[in-house]
Amino acid sequence: MVRNWLSRYNLRYPRSLVYMLQASEYNIFDYLTWYRKTRNFNLVEKRKGLVRTTKSLLLLVISWSMVLFLSGIGIFLLLIYTGQFKYVFFFLVVIFSPHLLAYGIIIPLLTTRVMVQWPAELLIVNAAKRKLKIHTAIKIGVAGSFGKTTMREILKTVLSEGKKVAAPPHSHNTPLGISRFAKTLKGDEEVLIFELGEYCPGDVRRLCNLVQPSMGVITGVNEAHLQRFKSLERTVGTIYELSDYLGKKPVYVNGESELGQKNARPNHFVYSRKGVRGWKIENQKTDLTGTSFIMTKNDMGLEMKSALLGLHQVGPLAAAADIALILGLSPEQVKSGVNKTTPFSHRLELKTDDAGVVTLDDSYNGNPDGFNAAIDFLASLEGCRRFYVTPGLVEMGSQTEEVHRQIGRRLARTSIEKVVLVKNSVTPYIEQGLKEEEYHGEIIWFNDALAAFVALPLLTVKGDVVLLQNDWPDQYQ
Amino acid sequence: MKKTIAVVFGGRSAEHDVSIITAHTPIIQSLLALGQFDVWPIYIAKDGSWYSDQAMNDLAYFKQDNFLEHLARQKKVRILFDKGLKIIWPGIRQKTVQIDIVFPAMHGTLGEDGSLMGLLRMADVPFVGCDLFASAVSMDKVLTKQILAVENISVVPYTWFTRNDWGTDRSACIEKIAGLGWPVFVKPVHLGSSIGITKAKQSSELENAIEVAFHYDDKVLVEKSVENLIEVTLPIMGNEELRLAAIERPLNKTEFFDFSDKYLSGNKNGGGVNSRYSEIPANIDKELAGRVEDLGKRTYRTLGCSGIARVDFLVDETSRQIYVNEVNTLPGSLYYHNWKKAGISAVELVAKLVFLAEERFASQQKTTYTFHSDILKKAGGQKRMAG
Repeated sequence: MVRNWLSRYNLRYPRSLVYMLQASEYNIFDYLTWYRKTRNFNLVEKRKGLVRTTKSLLLLVISWSMVLFLSGIGIFLLLIYTGQFKYVFFFLVVIFSPHLLAYGIIIPLLTTRVMVQWPAELLIVNAAKRKLKIHTAIKIGVAGSFGKTTMREILKTVLSEGKKVAAPPHSHNTPLGISRFAKTLKGDEEVLIFELGEYCPGDVRRLCNLVQPSMGVITGVNEAHLQRFKSLERTVGTIYELSDYLGKKPVYVNGESELGQKNARPNHFVYSRKGVRGWKIENQKTDLTGTSFIMTKNDMGLEMKSALLGLHQVGPLAAAADIALILGLSPEQVKSGVNKTTPFSHRLELKTDDAGVVTLDDSYNGNPDGFNAAIDFLASLEGCRRFYVTPGLVEMGSQTEEVHRQIGRRLARTSIEKVVLVKNSVTPYIEQGLKEEEYHGEIIWFNDALAAFVALPLLTVKGDVVLLQNDWPDQYQ
Repeated sequence: MKKTIAVVFGGRSAEHDVSIITAHTPIIQSLLALGQFDVWPIYIAKDGSWYSDQAMNDLAYFKQDNFLEHLARQKKVRILFDKGLKIIWPGIRQKTVQIDIVFPAMHGTLGEDGSLMGLLRMADVPFVGCDLFASAVSMDKVLTKQILAVENISVVPYTWFTRNDWGTDRSACIEKIAGLGWPVFVKPVHLGSSIGITKAKQSSELENAIEVAFHYDDKVLVEKSVENLIEVTLPIMGNEELRLAAIERPLNKTEFFDFSDKYLSGNKNGGGVNSRYSEIPANIDKELAGRVEDLGKRTYRTLGCSGIARVDFLVDETSRQIYVNEVNTLPGSLYYHNWKKAGISAVELVAKLVFLAEERFASQQKTTYTFHSDILKKAGGQKRMAG
């Protein structure tokens, strides 16, 4: 406890604060959540380190200036001030200085944001809005608690077989990210696909006003970011802002998401591994080589094969195929497009090492539905020893315990041989779930994710399959 | 309470650095991953000083730029071999840790050669890997060949001499070598990891090759080179019941699989032999593979190996003759890359080796080493005359 308290007086303390602001992408809410729960500030830069940018260096200078200022006050109270309570004031300054620094550093950040960043961003966003308004491309908005990037990439790959398609790279799903992307558009694009990020109510509506979609896909709703939204109703409301904006225009909704299905409106097209808009899906198969299925409607049959892993990919692939057909692509182009879809970086991405150990990197998958899909896929693999590795989920709010116990119970019902858990505040709930369902495999614990990553090559043999499910950045450690 | 296990590595050997790698990857890392042991590293520096600090469980400790400065600040430890092994940190606040099992991770001289095993036998503590006798014999390539030959296990024609022989009667040594035919391999007798080995294709290259070998050893082995060569190696584990890994074939780009190929060309995660430089399992026919496995087991048993060892073979592809080349009682990094492909993970391998150590120790405890005698009472009296 004393060591934890003293860690606030370590010379690295100001740097740790600035690092965490940077790691939280200067999101004050995330930063303050981390600050309130952190006890020891000596080991903050675990997975990454402070990247020297103008912003981070400026904040570092400001934080050290604050340290010098607070030290000056302390020295003044101790040596010059002669009042009756000089020692009381001095100790108060010593005790509260670390907190003053942690909260004080936000002030210049907020000031700059309000005075400079927001007005500048408003100009950029307005320019993008004007450009997108006159752009003749069909604009597809993709919203949801999970699976947005995967849907965007599937659509982009499939539609590119017959159309000139563009979409913001990486996870650029904020007004500024999308606006910067809009600046790069040449005007001859035929389809634009936008991932619409949601951080608080109103976000999706704002993004819709910016990109002005004519078609939408809702990939599902679940507990992701529940800590920010406080209730699932608010999450549903925010994501369905896309549907509100589109009105009678086409909206595809993932029927495999319980909340997605429940909130779908009569005019929505619900897609799932069973079918979409009159298409029936049969012969679904999945293994380490990919996923295949047959879509049939009237007399038409389309045999699809994708390198994406897991049957949960069938629905999104079918929806993308249907959208492509509506937009005028030929069945052959659609089949070819689906055939070209491959796992995206860190999303059930298959890697095989020299020793013949298969790793399924699902480290960017941080939502309950994604967890379930990945567990089901791992459980479906036969003839190999299977390892499931996870630190659990973050930002589950009041649902934290139940969500993780469900994961444990689901794992126990499979015959997955090894469950590797990283010690933190949520994985004991997974263990509880495993025990509730009398899991027969082996539970292996590691103190942190790095220790698990170091040990995994030592635990595995040729033919083993290791699923790395989610990864926690430093602010959640 | 967790059992304490000491991993001993480093040492006054040309393979000091390789030993550090073996100790960490996979031994210490696997022991830590197992979570069943309190792991104590015992590091023997190149000057022979003994250190122990759990910070040394991290390989990064030995990769620091100022490693020697760090080491200079470390307190040397004392080891007590009295009824078990104890590590003692002397000082006002003296600390002692009783060790339950020892995992030797030393390569080459003054460690793998039986020296350490002798100390551990004296301490009466279970230890992993081959015992004193197998370690000492296997470390001497000439002695190994001599023993195997008695058991009708094929070895390549060879000769040997000491530094003294070379200094006093060089022509006699050269004459013995000439009888083997060219080319030949010149090897230091007691070194592993292919250090100091040279191929001499003609007599003009011989002296230099011998000088290189004598730089590392005082006894040199010269053996006939097997042409049309397939080099294979077979890691074996067990005490009585043996388990074989996969037959591995080094895919050497140089003329033979040298130290650099083995340890320096690996990828960043490997720590051991680079898979690009070896073929696992070796692409040899079933009949040949069966003979290699049979010879491997016979060699292992003949030398009295236990725990783990690796038998190296030279195969003449044309005549299909198989020769046992040498035996390594502590394969670099336990050859875990090979075991992994054979279906045994590093953690399982290390756990199994610890089990085998305890099994052998329990068996040894059944042997009586002392007996009651009144000879001392009678000693010192008038000597009885025979007859």
